[in-house]
Amino acid sequence: MMVSRQVLTRTSRIRASRARLQNRIAAAVIWGGAIFVAALFAWLMADILWHGWREISLAYFTQEPESAGRLGGISSILVSTGLILIVCLVSALPIGLGTAIFLAEYTGPEDTVSRKIRLSLNVLAGTPSIVFGLFGNAFFCKMLGMGFSILSGGLTLACMVLPYFIRIAEESIRSVPQSYRMGAVALGLSKSTQIMRLILPVAVPGILGAIILSVGRSLSETAALIFTSGYVDRMPESLYDSGRSLSVHIYDLSMNVAGGDQRAYSAALVLIVSLILINFITGLIGRAWSRRMISIS
Amino acid sequence: MAIRYSLPVFCLAYLAMTGSNHAAGQENLTGKLTLTGSSTIAPLVSDLAKKFEKTHPGVRVDVQTGGSSRGVLDARQGTADIGMVSRALKEDEQDLKSYPIALDGICVIVHSTNPVKELTDSQIVAIYTGRVKNWKDVGGLDKQIMVVNKAEGRSTLELFLHYTKLKLPDIKADVIIGDNEQGIKTVAGNPYSVAYVSIGTAEYNATHGTQIKLLPLHGIQPSMQALIDHKFALSRPLNLVTKTEPTGIAKEFIAFAAAPENDSIVKGQYFVPLAKR
Repeated sequence: MMVSRQVLTRTSRIRASRARLQNRIAAAVIWGGAIFVAALFAWLMADILWHGWREISLAYFTQEPESAGRLGGISSILVSTGLILIVCLVSALPIGLGTAIFLAEYTGPEDTVSRKIRLSLNVLAGTPSIVFGLFGNAFFCKMLGMGFSILSGGLTLACMVLPYFIRIAEESIRSVPQSYRMGAVALGLSKSTQIMRLILPVAVPGILGAIILSVGRSLSETAALIFTSGYVDRMPESLYDSGRSLSVHIYDLSMNVAGGDQRAYSAALVLIVSLILINFITGLIGRAWSRRMISIS
Repeated sequence: MAIRYSLPVFCLAYLAMTGSNHAAGQENLTGKLTLTGSSTIAPLVSDLAKKFEKTHPGVRVDVQTGGSSRGVLDARQGTADIGMVSRALKEDEQDLKSYPIALDGICVIVHSTNPVKELTDSQIVAIYTGRVKNWKDVGGLDKQIMVVNKAEGRSTLELFLHYTKLKLPDIKADVIIGDNEQGIKTVAGNPYSVAYVSIGTAEYNATHGTQIKLLPLHGIQPSMQALIDHKFALSRPLNLVTKTEPTGIAKEFIAFAAAPENDSIVKGQYFVPLAKR
C-alpha cells in the first residue's frame, strides 16, 4: 500500500510540474509576442527620432521645400496632405457609412446581395495600392479630366480605404444589441429614426475606429498618390492643383534625391507623430461620446 | 426610403459638381506648363521650375514623375507639354524634339569592403548574364554575386543594355530596383552585391560615408569631372522632349533650363552642366 501511494504521489507531482512548465512556456510565448511587437515599434520610433529630430524646427513647418526637399520645410506638403485627406474622408464617409448601414440593417449576413457586396469588398481590400493608383490616373485624371490634382488623389484614396471602412463600420453597427432594435420597434419608431437616433449613435466608437484606420492608410499611401495627386511641392491654391503628400515626399527624398535621407527621416517623424496624435484625439472623442451615451440612458 | 435614395443622389450630385467645376477651371489653365517623365530629372526640373516661377509670376510649372518611357508617351500624346527623358532618344522616337539640359553618367558600384578593383566590359556582361556567379572568378572573395538590376522602363537600364549590347531577357538579376538611391542602399546593405547607378548620386553617397565603391571603366575613375571632360564611356544626356517645335512658355522654359546661369542648380542636384556653350 505504502509503495503504491508513494508511486502515485510521485507521478502526480511529475504531472503537476510538467503542467507548471507548460504554463510557463505558454506565458513566455505570449509575453514574448507582446513584448516583440512593442519593441519593434519602440525601435522604429527611436530610429526615426534619432535621425529626424535635428532638422525639425518652427521654420521646418512654415517654409516650402527648397532644392528638392534638402532645404526649406514642408509647409506646402502638409497642406496638400491635409487637403487630400479631407477630400478622401468627405467622399468616403457618406458612401461607406451608407453601404455599412445597408449591409448591417437592410440585409441579413447570408443574403445573396450582401454576400456579393462583401465579396467585392474583400477583393478590393486585397488589391495592391498601385492598382488603385493606375485606376485613379486613368479614371479621375484622364477620363474625368481632373488631371494631376488633390481631388484625383483624394478620390483615389477614398476608393482604396472604402472596403476597410465599410467592413469595420458594418461590424460595429451589427454589434449594437438586438434588444435596442426590438425596443425601437415596440415604440413604433420608423426604420430611419431607429438608425439615425439609436443605432448610429451607439455605433459611433466603432465607426471612429474605422475612420482612424482609413486615415492611417491614407497618410501612409504612396503608390496610389504618385500618379494621381502627383509630385508638385508648391503650396496648392485649389483642389485642382497637384500636391505632393507627405508619404510621396518621404519616398522621393529617400529614393530619388542624393543626400535626402536626413530630411526623409524628419518628414517620417512628422508623419508618425501626426498619426499618433490623430489616434489619441479620436480616442478621446470616442470615450467622451460613450460617456455621454451612458449618461443619457 | 430617404436613406435608400440618398446614396445614388449623392453620387450624381458629386459627379455633376466635379464636372462643372472642372469646366470652369479649364479657362484659367493658360500659363500652366506640365512636365512628366524620368524620376532622375524630376528633382532637378522641380528646382528649375521654382526659380522659373519666381521670375515669371503668373506661370505655373507642374512636374510629375513616372520614368522616361512615360515622358516620351506623355509628350507624344500631348498629356504633358514637355517630357523628361534621361537618355538619348531612340530611333523610333525621332518624331520628338529633344533638348539636353544636363549630363549624367552611370557607373558600376560594389560594397566598399569588396576587394575587386575593376571589372572589364566582358566581366560585367558575364556577371549580368549569370555566366559568372562567384566573385572569385573576377578576382574577389569566394562569395556568391548578388546581381542588382534596374526595372524595365528606367533609362539607366536602357543605357546599360545599350552599352553592354545585352537584351533585357539575357540579364539574370537577383534584385530588381527602381531609383538610384534604392540601388545604392541595396549595395550598401549587401556586401556581395553589384549594381549600376547614376554617377552623381553614387559620388555623393561615397563621399558622405555610404559603404559603396565606384568601379573604374576602361581605367577611368567615374566622377563628375570625368563626365565634364567627356572621358567616361557610360554617359547620357538628360533631355527635355516635345512633340513639336516648342512655343510660348515651353520654349522659354527649355531655354531657361539649359542656360549657363542655372549651372549651379544642375550641380546642386549632382548632375553635370552641359559643356562650354
